[in-house]
Amino acid sequence: MTLYAVTFYLLGIAILTATGLAVTRRQPVHAVLYLIVAFLGTAALFFLLGAPLLAAFMVIIYAGAIMIVILFIIMLVQGSPREVGPLSDWGPALLLGVVFLAVAVATIFKDPGSRIVLQGAVAQPRDFGRFLFDRYWLAVEIVSILLLVALVAILHLGKGRDTEETEKGPSPHLSPPGGEGKDEEVSYHKEGH
Amino acid sequence: MIVPLGHIFLLAGIIFSMGLVCLVAHRNLIMTLIGVEVMMNAAAIAFIAAALRWKLMEGQAFVLFILAVSAAEISLGLALVVSVYRRTGSIDPDRYDILKW
Amino acid sequence: MAAILATWLPFISFLLIMVFTRNRRRLSGGIAVAAVTGSLAGAVFLLVQNWDAGKPIHYASRWLIAGDISIPFGFLLDPVSLLMLLLVAAVSFLVQVYSFGYMAGDPGFSRYYAFQSLFAWAMMTLTISSAMLQLYVFWELVGLSSYLLIGFWYERFSATQAGKKAFVMTRLGDVAFFIGLLLVLLHLGNVEILEMNSAEAAVRMNSGLLTLTALLIFGGIVGKSAQFPLMTWLPDAMEGPTPVSALLHSATMVAAGVYLFARLFPFFSHSSDAMTVFLAIGTVSMLLASTMAMASRDIKQVWAYSTISQLGFMIMGLAAGSLFAGTFHLTTHAGFKALLFLCSGVWVHLYETNDVYEISRRGGRRLKTPTVCLVIAAAALSGLPPMSGFFSKEAILSALAGLENPVWLAAGLFGVFLTAYYAFRLIFIILFPRGEVREEPPNHSLEGMGALYWAMGLPLLVLAGATVVLGFLEIPLREFLSGGTAAHPSADHGWLPYISAGLAALGVGITWSEFGRRAAPQIGFVERIPPLKELFTQRWYLDHVYRWFVNIIIDGFFSKACTKNEDRVINDSIDEFCDFTLDSGHLLSFLQSGKLRYNLIVMFAALALVALYFLLP
Repeated sequence: MTLYAVTFYLLGIAILTATGLAVTRRQPVHAVLYLIVAFLGTAALFFLLGAPLLAAFMVIIYAGAIMIVILFIIMLVQGSPREVGPLSDWGPALLLGVVFLAVAVATIFKDPGSRIVLQGAVAQPRDFGRFLFDRYWLAVEIVSILLLVALVAILHLGKGRDTEETEKGPSPHLSPPGGEGKDEEVSYHKEGH
Repeated sequence: MIVPLGHIFLLAGIIFSMGLVCLVAHRNLIMTLIGVEVMMNAAAIAFIAAALRWKLMEGQAFVLFILAVSAAEISLGLALVVSVYRRTGSIDPDRYDILKW
Repeated sequence: MAAILATWLPFISFLLIMVFTRNRRRLSGGIAVAAVTGSLAGAVFLLVQNWDAGKPIHYASRWLIAGDISIPFGFLLDPVSLLMLLLVAAVSFLVQVYSFGYMAGDPGFSRYYAFQSLFAWAMMTLTISSAMLQLYVFWELVGLSSYLLIGFWYERFSATQAGKKAFVMTRLGDVAFFIGLLLVLLHLGNVEILEMNSAEAAVRMNSGLLTLTALLIFGGIVGKSAQFPLMTWLPDAMEGPTPVSALLHSATMVAAGVYLFARLFPFFSHSSDAMTVFLAIGTVSMLLASTMAMASRDIKQVWAYSTISQLGFMIMGLAAGSLFAGTFHLTTHAGFKALLFLCSGVWVHLYETNDVYEISRRGGRRLKTPTVCLVIAAAALSGLPPMSGFFSKEAILSALAGLENPVWLAAGLFGVFLTAYYAFRLIFIILFPRGEVREEPPNHSLEGMGALYWAMGLPLLVLAGATVVLGFLEIPLREFLSGGTAAHPSADHGWLPYISAGLAALGVGITWSEFGRRAAPQIGFVERIPPLKELFTQRWYLDHVYRWFVNIIIDGFFSKACTKNEDRVINDSIDEFCDFTLDSGHLLSFLQSGKLRYNLIVMFAALALVALYFLLP
């Protein structure tokens, strides 16, 4: 039981707890906050497993940028705060989760290669950067184009409908946000699902 | 000297399952997206472990790509959520049942 | 060849009448009679030509071929069939001539002659068929024409009921017949009569199978010849016109059963158990029918019961082992039974009533030709010498005497007594009317009939002559039927003729004392005993048994079971199937619930399944 192993297990427990809590929150804001903790833990785990550059990237990009964006959108999309909160039909989801987990565990432990104890190693950022731009420069370029495309798309999506929609109001295609179970509405969806 | 590979994969698997549960059990689109994020996180952990096992840096490069793609996808997803919210006033996926026969 | 022409002429006549000449009565009648005359000429020619032929003439062409099994269609002319052919042609001819007078003025005249032609064709082809399947086809056709002719006056409900009853009851027997045929086909490979009669059959089929097949085929005979237990259709069949009764239900169609017996005589005689059963059935029918005749007031019904009884007698003769006795009695019976019916028909036609007492009271005995012929025929029926009936009954009784068990002979002699009783009961009722003799003029005046009178009268005379003469032809016929080998039977039952004649005379005497004497009350001894009278009049409650059977077992049990099966099993199972489809659709519709989450669940479940596929070795 080396120090590294102890650290790993502690970090693992931390990540699991944080993720578990994040998943079961009703309020999205709480979930996001717990998730930030989970990502920080993941970054530490990356550090342990020999990827310091990636650990830094995790903190900056994931915990720093993405979670903040989600927070912004949560604030933007108010809805009716309580109503979209409740968690229903945990049943099928839990069943799926359990099944998936069982299959995953079986797959992992069937492979004899999973018993190999890892040896510690660190990928220094300098070497990692050189490696990346040496061999996979094309992939990097493509990823940057991907980001450009995403940027353009978001700008378009965020902008185009704004002026038309706010005057007309919500379109009548979908069932109005009056909650389920209103008998008088002639809606498409039926009870019982 | 650190841990058996299987344990790390097990950790990744559990995190993935939790993300899956979050994905399908919430009635909030944003929670769905958070579930996706969690799953990507698990995938990244698995890749790092594999990179360490074979001492190849491709694994870490791929984690970088996962990061980048995840960023793009989450922002796009959130833009779509906003758009849908503007259109219908709700972010409960159960309300979008036009496709139901 | 002549045989084909002879048998198919009436068929052409049937077609012509039905299609072309429905409206022209005389022409239809003429065509039919001309056709049957041609048949008669052909039959006579064939008989004369083949009188001495030692081997039967066999001509067959292939009809149905399936693998190894080939069923031919052709004709087989051996002594029995030639004799029967002549008999059928002659009686058909006489009856059709007679019908000119009987059916004159009837709106269905052409239809009547068409059906008569159909019957003649079917019966004659049945007679000379060479394979059992062909015989079965024409057997059914004969049944069809019987149905058509019984229900000829279809406006009468009772007539249509009677036709239906006849058809259904004979059909019942035919089912057994067909099963027997199939068994033969299965084991012998073909159904040719020659093959079945040969000694080979006994080798190829074991005795149990032979007995079973014989019994099944006999089932058809029971149906067609109205033996016990399928006998109640024949009295009801008297709803048809009297010439029809004379032709079909006395001389030819019901004789088809006995004829079949004679045809397959070698086949049946392989199995002695079956022959014993046949003997029993014949005896029972004979006795039952005679008792029923003793209490009946309807002139045609008495002769109908008599037909059943005499057919039973013939079957007894055949089953006792003597082909000649049964066939000879068949021939003579055709003659005098047709005569009896035709004579009765004269009165029925004139007075439009079937009741004997009515006929006698209205002065029936004043018509000389029918009365004389009736007496002659009744004497033949009772077996009084020197009529033909005496000789043929003689032959049967000596065959019965040759059996080990004296019960059969005793039954036969008792039957002779009963026959004489009921026949002469009728005669004396007609001859000596009681009560007021209302000398009313008949409904159809005789003088106004002109030539038609002789149309009805001549056949009577011809048949009467045949009745008297046929008895003396016994020896030549015996030679002919044995195929030329003059095999004289062991005639050491010399006392038998005297006993039978004596019994017949006893019957006549008793009826004379009850009906014939001046002061006689005209009530038979049977009718004095009410339970017996009831029993005999109700046909030994056979009809009641059948009605009960149909109601309780078939309607109550089978019909209900089948209806329930149809409703609950078939209908409901199909409904369940449809409901199952609908329900499974409902079940699977959650996939299309329109809810995003469920689609995602399914997606990841599929992923897990794929992982499982790679997990398993």
